[in-house]
Amino acid sequence: MIRVELRVNGEAVSREVDDRTLLVELLRYELGLTGTHVGCDTSQCGACTVKLDGAAVKSCAVLAAQASGGEVLTVEGLSTPQQLGEVPAAFVACHGLQCGFCTPGMMMAIDYYLDTDGSLDDERIHQALEGNICRCTGYVNIIEAVKHAAHARIEAGKPVGRQHG
Amino acid sequence: MDSRLVGQPRPRAEDQRLVRGQGRYTDDMNLPGQAYGAFVRATHAHAVIRGIDIEAASQAPGVIAVLRGQDYLDDGLRGMDHIPNPADAVAFKERAFPDSLTGSVFNQRHLPLVVDRVRHVGEPIVLVVARSAREARDACEMVLIDYDPLPAVVDAVQAMDEGAPQLWDGAARNLCFQARVGDEAAVREAFARAHRVVRREFRNSRIVNCQMEPRSALGSFDAGSGEYLLISGSQGVTRQQMCIADALGIPPAKLRVVSPDVGGGFGPRSCVNPDQLAVLWAARRVGQPVKWTSDRNEAFLSDYQGRDQVIRAAIAFDEEGRILGIDNEIIGNVGAHTVSYVPLANGSRIMTTVYHVPAATALLSAVLTNTPPTGPYRGAGRPEATHVMERMLDVAADEMGMDRIELRRRNLIQPSQMPYRSPMGLTYDSGGFAANMERALLVSQWSEAPARKREAQSRGKLLGTGLANYVESPVGAPRERIEITIGADGRVDFVVGTQSTGQGHETSFVQVLADELGVPFEAVTMRTGDSLFVKVGGGSHSDRSMRLVGHLLLQAGEQLRAAALTAAASMWGIDAQGLRYAGGRVRDEAGQREAGLGEIAAHIERAGMPGHPEEHRFFAAAEFNGRIAAHPTGTAVCELEIDPETGDVEIVRYTSIDDVGRPINPLIVEGQVHGGLAQGIGQAFLEDYHVDPESGQIFSGSYMDYGVARAGAIPRRFDVELTEDRTHGNALGVKGGGESGITPATAAIFNALADALRDITHEELPMPATPAAIWSALQRAQEARS
Repeated sequence: MIRVELRVNGEAVSREVDDRTLLVELLRYELGLTGTHVGCDTSQCGACTVKLDGAAVKSCAVLAAQASGGEVLTVEGLSTPQQLGEVPAAFVACHGLQCGFCTPGMMMAIDYYLDTDGSLDDERIHQALEGNICRCTGYVNIIEAVKHAAHARIEAGKPVGRQHG
Repeated sequence: MDSRLVGQPRPRAEDQRLVRGQGRYTDDMNLPGQAYGAFVRATHAHAVIRGIDIEAASQAPGVIAVLRGQDYLDDGLRGMDHIPNPADAVAFKERAFPDSLTGSVFNQRHLPLVVDRVRHVGEPIVLVVARSAREARDACEMVLIDYDPLPAVVDAVQAMDEGAPQLWDGAARNLCFQARVGDEAAVREAFARAHRVVRREFRNSRIVNCQMEPRSALGSFDAGSGEYLLISGSQGVTRQQMCIADALGIPPAKLRVVSPDVGGGFGPRSCVNPDQLAVLWAARRVGQPVKWTSDRNEAFLSDYQGRDQVIRAAIAFDEEGRILGIDNEIIGNVGAHTVSYVPLANGSRIMTTVYHVPAATALLSAVLTNTPPTGPYRGAGRPEATHVMERMLDVAADEMGMDRIELRRRNLIQPSQMPYRSPMGLTYDSGGFAANMERALLVSQWSEAPARKREAQSRGKLLGTGLANYVESPVGAPRERIEITIGADGRVDFVVGTQSTGQGHETSFVQVLADELGVPFEAVTMRTGDSLFVKVGGGSHSDRSMRLVGHLLLQAGEQLRAAALTAAASMWGIDAQGLRYAGGRVRDEAGQREAGLGEIAAHIERAGMPGHPEEHRFFAAAEFNGRIAAHPTGTAVCELEIDPETGDVEIVRYTSIDDVGRPINPLIVEGQVHGGLAQGIGQAFLEDYHVDPESGQIFSGSYMDYGVARAGAIPRRFDVELTEDRTHGNALGVKGGGESGITPATAAIFNALADALRDITHEELPMPATPAAIWSALQRAQEARS
C-alpha cells in the first residue's frame, strides 16, 4: 500500500492505495469521479485522458503513486453546475457527441490542445486527436467543436495556444 | 400538431449531463456489498476440455467462489435461446426461414460457461468471484484447464466442405440452415435468354463492434423475494429480460433489467451475452451482488461481431443493359453459436435494392465456424447487399463498354412504378431513386471528374470516383408501447421501450411529443431502460425507434388532447363542443374560460379520466404489434486519390444524399450519417480482424492491431444533403436515419478505388483495402504486363 496526495479539480485528496493502482482507478473507484472512462487496456483509445500538471495524460497509463504531489483536472472540473466550460459547451452546440463515452477524454485532449496550440488547421486538429477514438460521430462535429471552443475562449479573453504543458 | 420543434436542429438535452461527466454507464454503478467477477476464457479455438483444476484459484486471496459450467447445469439451469431466426420482413408473424434444405433450422442454446468443449478463442469457461476485481483476475491465472485440441475451421466456405471440423451435432457440414429464396425457375429462364451474364465473388470482411464502452454487467439476487436485478447496458431491456429469465427458469417479472446510459450499440448489443447471465447466476450462488466489466482485449474475443459474408453474384443483362435477373449465393459466417440469422434475412430481402429486377433468387447458407459469434451490425445485411449490387453494376458497365451512370439510369425503379413490389417481396411506397442519383451527381460535380483526374495525374496520383445508390429495409422487433402521464404540475412524463445508445431520444422524442401537445420542450421527460416500468418494447435497432415511437406518440397525443377537452368540459360543467385545444391549453370559444394541462390533470386526479372513471391519472398509452415498413434511400459519391508509390488513399470529397423521410432533428440525423460513414470507411480501409486460418487464434486483440478510424481518416469535404420524400407508412412520415451513412459507404468507396485503378487492374480488391493490399495489386498488374 502507498499513500498518494494530490489535488483533483482544485481539491486536496489523500488516499492509501494498493501500489499498482492506476490514476484512473483512483479517480473512478476511490474518488467516485466516474466521468473519466476506461475504453481500452493498451492506452490507445484516450477515453481516460485527464490533465496532470497541465498536460494531457492517459490516466490508465499513470500509476496513482506517480501522480502524487500533482494537480489533476478531470471532465468534472471543466464546468461548474451553473455554466458549461468552453469545450463542453462547444460539444453540445456542434453535436460533437453521441453515446458520450469517449467524450470526457476527447474534451480533455482538446482542452490541452487549446492551451498549447489552438490552431484551426484541420491537419493540426487531426494530429491532436490522434490518441482518441470515437466510434459514433465520425469526428466531423468534434473537429467543428474544437474550432467553436477556440473562438469561445478568445471571446472570453482567455489565452489560446500560449501555455505549454 | 404544430411544428415549433420538429424539424429543428436542436442541441441535445442529454448532452448536459454527458459533457459534465455525469453520464451513468454500467461500470459507474455499484451495489452495496458487491463482489467482482472475472472470466477464464478459452485459449484454443476448438478443443475438448479434459479437466478444470480450480484448487489453487479457490485458495487464492479474496476468492469467494470459482464457478464452472457444470455447476450451472447442476443447478438445473439451461442455456439461452437467442431465437436467431428473425421475424419475416413481410409476414412478421412467421420466421424469416421457415425451413431449410438441410431438413431443419439449427438453433443451439448458449450456456454462460462452456462445459466440455470450447468452440472459439475467448469463450468463457470459469467465472472467478472475489472481493476485488484485481483478486478475481489474479485468481483466474491460477485456474488450470486441460485441453485436448481439435482441428479448427474459421472460414465459412471451408467449413461447408465434407471433412471440415464439425462444431455441433445436428448441424451437418456446419450448416445452421440453407435456404433458397426468390423465384429460381424465373431466374433460370432469364439467364437462358441473357445477352450477357456478369459474375463476381465478394468477401465482406468481419467487423469488431468496438463500441467505446466495454460491456459490463452487475447482477444481484434477493433470496427473500426470489427476485433478480441485472444492471447492464444494452439496446433494450425487454429482450434481455425475456431471454435470461427463460434460461434461469423464472417468470420474466422476477428479473428486473436496467440499462442505464449505453456507450454505443451498433447492433450486437441487442443480443444477450453469456456473461450477463453468468453474473446473475453467480450472484445467487455467492449470496451477494457480482459485478464484471470487460477489458478491451476480452471485448475483441467475446463481443458479438458483424458482417463476414461471402457473396457470389451473377446478373443477367439484355442487349440494352437492362437487368433480366439476379442469382446470388450468400454465405454467412455465424461463428461458434447460433446468435443471429438477421443479416442473411435482411441481405437477401434487399438484394435488388433500387433497381427494377424482373426475377431474383438467392441461395443462403448460415455456417458455424470456430470464431466469436456474429450478430446484426449497423445495417445488418443491407450494406453487404448494396456493396455487391453497386460493384456489380460498375463491373458490368466495364464489361459491356457502357457508362456506369447510364447503366444505372436504365435500371432504376421510376416514380411511376410506385408503389413497387420487389421480386423478394418488399414494397417500396416512396423514394425518388433517380432524383437522388441526379442530385448526387450534381453536388459531387461528377461531370467534371475527368478534368480532376488529369490534374491528379499531373501530381502522380490516381483519382477515382464511385457512386452507390441504396435503399434500406428497416424492420426490427414488431412490438412497441408508450405511456404518457401528465401531472398536476403540468409536467409530461412518458415511458418508452426503446433504448438510446447515443441517438438522442431524450431530445428527438421530446420534440415530437412537445409539439403534439403544444407544450414547451422543457415540460416533457422521457424514461426508459428499466423493466420495472418498461413492460413492453423492442429496444433500438433497425431504424425502428422514431419510426414506431413517433407514430405512437401522435396516437397517444391525440387521445390526450381529446381527453383534455372532455375533462375541461366536465370541470366547467359545460358542453365540450365549444372548446378548443391549442398551445397546451383548453379554451372556450368565448375566451372566458381557460385551463392548462396541469389544472386538467388535477381535475382528473379527483374526478377520474373521461370514459375511465376508475383511472385517476391523466394518462394515455399506445401500443403497436406489427410491421410499419419504411425505406430510407439515397445516393453516396466518393472521390479519392491513390498514391501508387505507397498504396495510400485519401478521400478528397464525399457526397451523401439521404432521404430519411421527415427529419425530426436534422442535427442528429446528420450526425448519424457521419457516424455511419466513418464505420464504412473503417471497414473499407482499416478494420482487419485477422484470425489464423490454421489455429483459429485471434491476432486482432486490441486497438493496437485492429484499425478503427481516427480523426485523420475522415474526408475534409463531406457534403450531406437531406432530401425529404415522406413515407405514407406512419403518421409522422419518418423513414429512419441510423443506417443511412453506412449502407452505401463501402460500395461507393470500392467503386471509386476500382475507377482509380481502371487502366491498371480489374482485380477485385480485398476488404479492407489497406495500402499494402492496393500496392500489391498494383505490383501484380505491373508484373503481369512486363
